[in-house]
Amino acid sequence: MKTKDHKKPSKIQELTYELKVEQVMCKNVTTLKPDNTMNDVRRILRNKKISGIPVIDDDRLVGIVSIEDFLICLLEGGGINEKVENKMTKNVVTVYSDDHIVQLVGKFDRDGYGRFPVVDRDTKKLVGIITKGDIIEGLLKKLEIDYHEEEIHTYRASHIFEDVISDNSILIFKYRIKGGDFKTAGEQTSKLRKNLLRLGFLPETIRRVAIAAFEAEMNIVIYTPEGELVAKIHPEKVTINAIDSGPGIPDVKKAMRQGYSTAPDWVRELGFGAGMGLPNIKNYSDEMTLESKVNEGTNLNFVIYTKKNED
Amino acid sequence: MKIRDIVKKLGLKVISGEEFLEREVTGGYAGDLLSDVLANSKKGNMWVTLQIHQNIIAVAISKELSGIIIVNGRKPEEGTLKKAKEEKMPVMISNLLTYEVAGRLYEIGIR
Amino acid sequence: MKLNQIIQILDAEILCNVKDESNVNITMACGADLMSDVLAFIKSEALLLTGLTTPQVVYTAENSGVNVVCFVRGKKPSRETVDLAKEKKIVLLATKSPMFESCGKLSKNGLIGCSEVSKQ
Repeated sequence: MKTKDHKKPSKIQELTYELKVEQVMCKNVTTLKPDNTMNDVRRILRNKKISGIPVIDDDRLVGIVSIEDFLICLLEGGGINEKVENKMTKNVVTVYSDDHIVQLVGKFDRDGYGRFPVVDRDTKKLVGIITKGDIIEGLLKKLEIDYHEEEIHTYRASHIFEDVISDNSILIFKYRIKGGDFKTAGEQTSKLRKNLLRLGFLPETIRRVAIAAFEAEMNIVIYTPEGELVAKIHPEKVTINAIDSGPGIPDVKKAMRQGYSTAPDWVRELGFGAGMGLPNIKNYSDEMTLESKVNEGTNLNFVIYTKKNED
Repeated sequence: MKIRDIVKKLGLKVISGEEFLEREVTGGYAGDLLSDVLANSKKGNMWVTLQIHQNIIAVAISKELSGIIIVNGRKPEEGTLKKAKEEKMPVMISNLLTYEVAGRLYEIGIR
Repeated sequence: MKLNQIIQILDAEILCNVKDESNVNITMACGADLMSDVLAFIKSEALLLTGLTTPQVVYTAENSGVNVVCFVRGKKPSRETVDLAKEKKIVLLATKSPMFESCGKLSKNGLIGCSEVSKQ
């Protein structure tokens, strides 16, 4: 195992071949003109906290002036009113924006420069500047993104419907909900949402299911002693059944009206119970039915079709 | 600024208290939690809210607010409207949301 | 509008910043204390301004695709709410400005509201 791992290029090595200069370079470049003075250099280096400034004449890169150039200018007795064109480094080593990072790694050590101006391969115009710091930052960011994507990939279960053989496969998730518990209200929908992400449903479908399920969960928490959410996942639709053990809704028609609510004041102070819950479930779902018996309980059912089918 | 000017500038629909639009508005307050409005709104404030429950009238009266703007085009419950009329409380409706209504009031100088 | 500009305008405190999100672009905002209303009209990726600080605010943000929540009128959430936001990778801010003033200031600086964004 060990020798095999040793031969395999590291993730970072791979990334240096993958990432291009333009993906990590700094694009907002401060530049100077040849007839600017070393005083301008001092001001920019200090204010922008950078270490080198490209010098541009007529859209053409003609030099670069760095902290070293500034110090040498002072040591040689030159004043701060000296023109940049007399003190800058003229034979500038540049890199192309479509170069791969790996091509630069050696360059930094070999040439002893801290930064390279980046030019476009065709137009030869300056498009950015790159330092070792930019490369490290770029690599770290890419590593983080890749790691995140890998994590989702590892857990991805979207192939499950293809893996199991039947005429019609349905996944069922059950979630128990405790009435009155505002500390954890919302948690069960959150778990369901995560499963839908893993199953590879589209974000818009997940958003609709999550919002409607969250409202159903809140209703059980607010009004009932206990209940459960049963989510049935088909490849083409999600159906949710929210069942509770009472007290039931005396007037279902009224309860469906926007703004109608029987919630006590303390619930309103928690930001719920303003009569928008059931209308929300209706709006976000494709089909909805509500049955309720006083003293027995409520059975809410809604269906959301996944977008995949329409495409 | 008078309520009348605000109604005109924001294109609000007045549903109660038409005869009290000369009242002066001293500032604005936005909120949907009644306890918060009770605690923090100031006399003469124009109150911007999503709530349509009849308790809003009692809150507005007890804090001597100048009026209520209900947002998102929501129609108040019957009891709310009845109480508003009894209590001489101007109630207006805007089709915009709280963020936009507060933004516009702020823009015309209500602070 | 960049998130750090919003933080500056509201003089907001950062309660939970998952990654460094200060450069994130926020295109619209919404202010409400009632979560069902937020769920009814907020759009994905909007900034949510609210005076409610319960864990349900975080769930509301998660379910509706909101990445940044700012608590107004100096209200601070409980530890549980902040921990939940960290887990759900939602940025939490807090400002002393009341809701009215927060909406007013951001609006004046050009951040539009959810109902002003045309439906895609």
